[in-house]
Amino acid sequence: MLTLRDIRKSYRIGPTEVEVLKGVSLEIQQGELVSIMGQSGCGKSTLMNIIGLLDRPTSGSFMLDGAEVSYSNDDTLSEIRNQRIGFVFQQYFLLSRLTALENVALPLVYRGDKGTNSHERCMELLKRVGMADRAQHRPNELSGGQQQRVAIARALVGNPSLILADEPTGALDTNVGGEIMELFKTLNAEEGITVVIITHDPGIARQCKRVAVMKDGVILS
Amino acid sequence: MIHPSHLKEAARSLLASKQRTILALIGIVIGIGSVIAMVSVGRIVQEESLRQFKEMGTDILTIEKEFGGSGPPGMPGAPAAGAAAKAALRLATILAIPSRCPGIAAVAPSVRGSGDISFAGKKLERCSPMGVTASFLDINKLTMRKGRFLSDLDEQSRYCVIGSQVAAELQKQGASQLLGSKIRLGDNLFTVIGVTNEVPQGGMRRFEPNEMIYVHITTGLRVFANAEIQSITARVSNGTTNNAARDQVMAYVASLGKGQTVRITSPEEIIAQMEKQMQMFTLLLGAIGSISLIVGGVGVMNVMLVSVTERRREIGIRRALGAKRGDIRGQFLIESVILSLIGGLFGIIFGIGASWLIAHFAKWQFALSFSAILLGVGVSNAVGIFFGYYPARQASLLDPIVALKSD
Repeated sequence: MLTLRDIRKSYRIGPTEVEVLKGVSLEIQQGELVSIMGQSGCGKSTLMNIIGLLDRPTSGSFMLDGAEVSYSNDDTLSEIRNQRIGFVFQQYFLLSRLTALENVALPLVYRGDKGTNSHERCMELLKRVGMADRAQHRPNELSGGQQQRVAIARALVGNPSLILADEPTGALDTNVGGEIMELFKTLNAEEGITVVIITHDPGIARQCKRVAVMKDGVILS
Repeated sequence: MIHPSHLKEAARSLLASKQRTILALIGIVIGIGSVIAMVSVGRIVQEESLRQFKEMGTDILTIEKEFGGSGPPGMPGAPAAGAAAKAALRLATILAIPSRCPGIAAVAPSVRGSGDISFAGKKLERCSPMGVTASFLDINKLTMRKGRFLSDLDEQSRYCVIGSQVAAELQKQGASQLLGSKIRLGDNLFTVIGVTNEVPQGGMRRFEPNEMIYVHITTGLRVFANAEIQSITARVSNGTTNNAARDQVMAYVASLGKGQTVRITSPEEIIAQMEKQMQMFTLLLGAIGSISLIVGGVGVMNVMLVSVTERRREIGIRRALGAKRGDIRGQFLIESVILSLIGGLFGIIFGIGASWLIAHFAKWQFALSFSAILLGVGVSNAVGIFFGYYPARQASLLDPIVALKSD
């Protein structure tokens, strides 16, 4: 469902051009739980931005659900992010002024959803991540683990084909991080959602069915 | 792309930075407020003047002796030397107008005097003498508060009738009884025989009725320095148009053959002229208001720019979740429009309040101008869009990755 072929990305820093991704090829099947692991500076964040359609590769091909997506225009990329990708960030990135429920509903707003059944859908997902009783709480009233659960519900709300998690446990202590990983595993096992986790932590990577190790802008295995 | 949740969002984010929001609003409130106040004061003044005109009646012509200039065309032989020294209109000639011009029902010539006026040795301020005929009272729609007005039997008498302002002045100077008080005009003493009722200011009269000391015109012509009849108020007969009556008077004056010419003004002309003046006034004031609005708009722009900078991460998050550039632009535009609409709303209240106060103190009849309110709403809307567009565009052009990384 996701195919990267010889993806390259370089940035121009002053007069020199720095190539961060030097030909990444990767194929991920529907329903996989993959981690992309590597030390900081290996280019995994850049790769995550490209997979998440927040950035465009300099060259190479990126097929999502059988269609080339990398070079589409900005609006189309926004639409694909909205419809097919669910993001989970290290720092949760919930909007502090909104309640948990409103945060979960946010992606639906950009679908032009009139909100008829979005409330039920969001509540259902909050229940799914064990946060139904906190629906009306704001992020600052929630613990880190709880915020990340809300963020996962938000990632799921649009029924995406891919969950893209960037260091999802990076800001959490080991126990809570473990719970979050369990949640990913359950979602993957029970609902067959494709999950890609970007991490520098081998302990996290080991919990995934497949690990892609990145070093110096290429994937080693 | 306006989504209902955007409105809620906008309100919430404006509330989140109350202090800044309020500060930005002040500019808009003052801007819109002054536009509203000025436009509606303009309207009030206009309506007030028209009201007073109508009170005086629209069948009144003002006939004035023309100074200088050449005679009207079609009058060959008009003495060129006449310019500044045209012969004065004689009282008898004027009083004959109603009998010679069937279109004129009555005339009230007047002559203005000058010089010191005193009562019991104390100088009276803000008053001025005027010689009039008995018909003057009715034609000028004046009414008596006390005593009587001058009659045709008062020719050459030393009686006078005073306006309400003069009466107040006299009382301030210690007159125990108004009627019978003696006022000194130059070398002559005049006995007060009547007091006229107070008249609201403005209108079509070419004099301040409350500040007048009326004497009989024959007396005036005799005792005032350089006295000459300069202004005649005439009432048009029923069934005659103002234009017809004017033509008759013109013809009559021309038939005198003394090179005399008069200028005749009808209420319609004065109203039209006044409306034009008010229009200019309103435009001018509107322009001043617009300048304060630009200042207010720059305030809004500033607030929105700060808001965009502060909310870069939020913008990044929204973009990651699928917001298009247009969505982000729309979100910030809605915020700036709501911001200026709130300002506009307070501005409208402020402006109406201010114009009410002005009307109250000027003793004008207050009138709510709906066009001013519409203007206020429209203008604040436009200010929001115009000054919000640049910040909103900046927000929409942020690179999502950069935006997400900022804090």
